[in-house]
Amino acid sequence: MSAILNMSEDQRDALQEVTNVAMGQAGDRLARLLDTFVVLSIPHIDIMEPQDIAMTLQSIDTTDSISGVCQGFIGGGIAGEAILLYNDTSFVDLARLLQFEGDLDEQAERELLMDTTNVLFGACIKGLAEQIDMDFSFGPPMVLGQHQKISEMFDPNTSVWKHALVTEINYKLEGYNVNCDLLILMTDESIIRLMHKIDYLLE
Amino acid sequence: MSDNDLLENIHWLMDVLQNIDVGLVMLDQNYNVELWNSFMQNHSAKLPTDVLGSNIFSTFPELPESWFRRKVESVKVLRNSSFTTWEQRPYLFKFRNYRPVTGMTEFMYQNCTIMPITNARSEITQICLIIYDVTEVAANRLQLQRANSKLHIISKTDGLTGLLNRKHWEEGLEHEFKRHQRYQHTCSLLMFDIDHFKRINDTYGHPAGDEVIRQTAAVVKKCVRDIDICGRYGGEEFTVILVDTNQEGAMVVAERLRKAIEANTIYYDEHVINYTISLGISEITSGISNHTEWIDASDRGLYRAKRAGRNQTQIYNQD
Repeated sequence: MSAILNMSEDQRDALQEVTNVAMGQAGDRLARLLDTFVVLSIPHIDIMEPQDIAMTLQSIDTTDSISGVCQGFIGGGIAGEAILLYNDTSFVDLARLLQFEGDLDEQAERELLMDTTNVLFGACIKGLAEQIDMDFSFGPPMVLGQHQKISEMFDPNTSVWKHALVTEINYKLEGYNVNCDLLILMTDESIIRLMHKIDYLLE
Repeated sequence: MSDNDLLENIHWLMDVLQNIDVGLVMLDQNYNVELWNSFMQNHSAKLPTDVLGSNIFSTFPELPESWFRRKVESVKVLRNSSFTTWEQRPYLFKFRNYRPVTGMTEFMYQNCTIMPITNARSEITQICLIIYDVTEVAANRLQLQRANSKLHIISKTDGLTGLLNRKHWEEGLEHEFKRHQRYQHTCSLLMFDIDHFKRINDTYGHPAGDEVIRQTAAVVKKCVRDIDICGRYGGEEFTVILVDTNQEGAMVVAERLRKAIEANTIYYDEHVINYTISLGISEITSGISNHTEWIDASDRGLYRAKRAGRNQTQIYNQD
């Protein structure tokens, strides 16, 4: 039985609330680190099937101006993956943001993407982890579609999971041409554990 | 737990940290080294006594200081680990490969995690670096990339001549035709084949025929510009897209090529082979509505050249 499909309205609201608070904290941390105002959308929680994810990621293969980076996290039986999609983001601006000095070659661009992802995602998941009193380990970020087309890497028809809980947040940085969507994906096994934590908050 | 037990515990814990085959470095707030485990010792050939208490940037000038400080700053503010992978930066510390002979790479590729260390009051007191040796993964990945780019070339070219194969050349033709439709650039197509090639094969054998084809391709490459797109269209048929060239310009190229082939003598085993080619040219005009018609027009030019007695060039105008 799918824990994702069986989430109650209350659980969903609570998760939304926890994410809101976490994002508020993340925004604060990011603003201090990057010295710029971070415009964060209200997190949108949704259920997606492998096909939906494949469609979302397809744009990385087909559009030059869209890049994606993914990063995994795990801890206490909850595991998930974050995917950051950068839409028409200017590398010059990313470099300015991270005070990167040096030539903007392909390698530098990759580094900027990975660093930005780690910073944005790190701030967000750290806030979330504190809310539910957990501690996560992070894998290194990986630039998607770099060695292999995503359509070759991820086949929705053979994926072992059926549903994923997706939290979607849009970031904009004031004064910079940086616009990205953060997707945090968790599958059923993780949701069971996460809901234990959420239920605890609801009691 | 007695003091003795505690000491015992600390002892084996330290033993593990010392001997684990992963690099561990602790830095204080001023980037002075506080821990330097044996992985770091052995690979850097620097003893703890040389490194401990000294500034990491002065001990390791190869570490890019401003970049590294920036990384550590983000770790402190976010209270969150940061990563570098070998694909971003091959290494943080330039260590030699574990296996100098069969290791395939000169230095050790490293992934690195930069981690904040907090005290009991959850203030960040130190920064821990974890250095992973990922040389094996990196070497495999790099090899795979090389193999893939080789395959990419093989898939596009004809093995005998090194010219583009028909499929790929036709993609180029289609692309050029679309470019013409959009920008009205002048563009001509040159098509030629070897006169009486069957006779060459029958007289001197197929290996000699292959040599004729190979040398013809070599002459073509010498006679055209880098931007022109040459392909082996069929057995003894060749095609060249002459970018930004009208039919008169194409005629000059064609004649140069024809004379070069005529003058080229091939020595194969005991045979001395002289041969000629016939060429057809067509420039894109309003009468040509797609790339197949364009090929067709050059083919007609080629046919005319054959009919008119071979070893010559004919322009075909589709109007």
